[in-house]
Amino acid sequence: MTWLLVLFGFLSGILGGMGMGGGTLLVPLLSFLDIPQKTIQAINLFSFLPMCAAALCVHAKNKLLRPQNVGWLVFPACLGALGGAFAAHSAPNDTLRICFALFLIAVGIWQITVAVRFAAKLRRRRTVVFSSVRCLKAISPRLLKKRRGKA
Amino acid sequence: MPNRILAIILIQTNIKINQIEAQYLFRVEFMRLSAKKKALLAVLGAAAGFINGFLGGGGGVLVVALMLAVLCLPQKNAQATALLAILPLTAISAAVYFLRGSVDWQPTLWTSAGVAAGGILGAWLLSGLKSNTAKIIFAVILVAGGIKMLF
Repeated sequence: MTWLLVLFGFLSGILGGMGMGGGTLLVPLLSFLDIPQKTIQAINLFSFLPMCAAALCVHAKNKLLRPQNVGWLVFPACLGALGGAFAAHSAPNDTLRICFALFLIAVGIWQITVAVRFAAKLRRRRTVVFSSVRCLKAISPRLLKKRRGKA
Repeated sequence: MPNRILAIILIQTNIKINQIEAQYLFRVEFMRLSAKKKALLAVLGAAAGFINGFLGGGGGVLVVALMLAVLCLPQKNAQATALLAILPLTAISAAVYFLRGSVDWQPTLWTSAGVAAGGILGAWLLSGLKSNTAKIIFAVILVAGGIKMLF
């Protein structure tokens, strides 16, 4: 049991440290064990705090943080979080579980569409590159011959 | 000779365009936000905060998307900065969960240890994450987790 907890935490922590939403992975993993939904959510929130602090140190070292303008998002979001946490306590466990499941499915489908669209965009860009390389080959055969000789 | 230089420049620019980060090359990063963007950030941020508090996680994915779309940050910066934005929300929600007494310390501590270890690894690996396929696999796992949680 404890080893499973540590393992699930580790797996979702890798994604969480990247900022890809480790919590979205941790909650369904923990629901395999026999834990009530509110406790799972509390575990998820609390385990996020030390990880976030550590990951932020690494990101700050790598100079990836851009905190300009984030205040516009953070303060209303704090109010929302307060409301959400109180709402969670007046809701029964099953409702929370079903809401989370629907949220996961929605996010998953949305991410799949984004990734597939991005892949299509990349493919288009690659064909542009390949066709321009083909043009170059046609334009300067002498250049390519020289290169081959060197290799 | 000029032919050769032209060819090298063309090849190099093509390689540059082919890089994934290049999709942000022509986007301007606004230091000053318009009122519309501020309102958008506030409203959608409050919604993300509510979901984060109500479902005990998952706000990170939404905040990353917000930062990509509204603040026009590059992917890596968005993921790192989202962690910064999520930290106060999670702290507030966690405090409410704690005050309402739905925290079970034993599993929380074990999971936190795993998540912290994974989080540092993930933050360290962030620069290595490029594959679109990995994202699709992750999204499919999310949908599967959601369907599993429904029943």
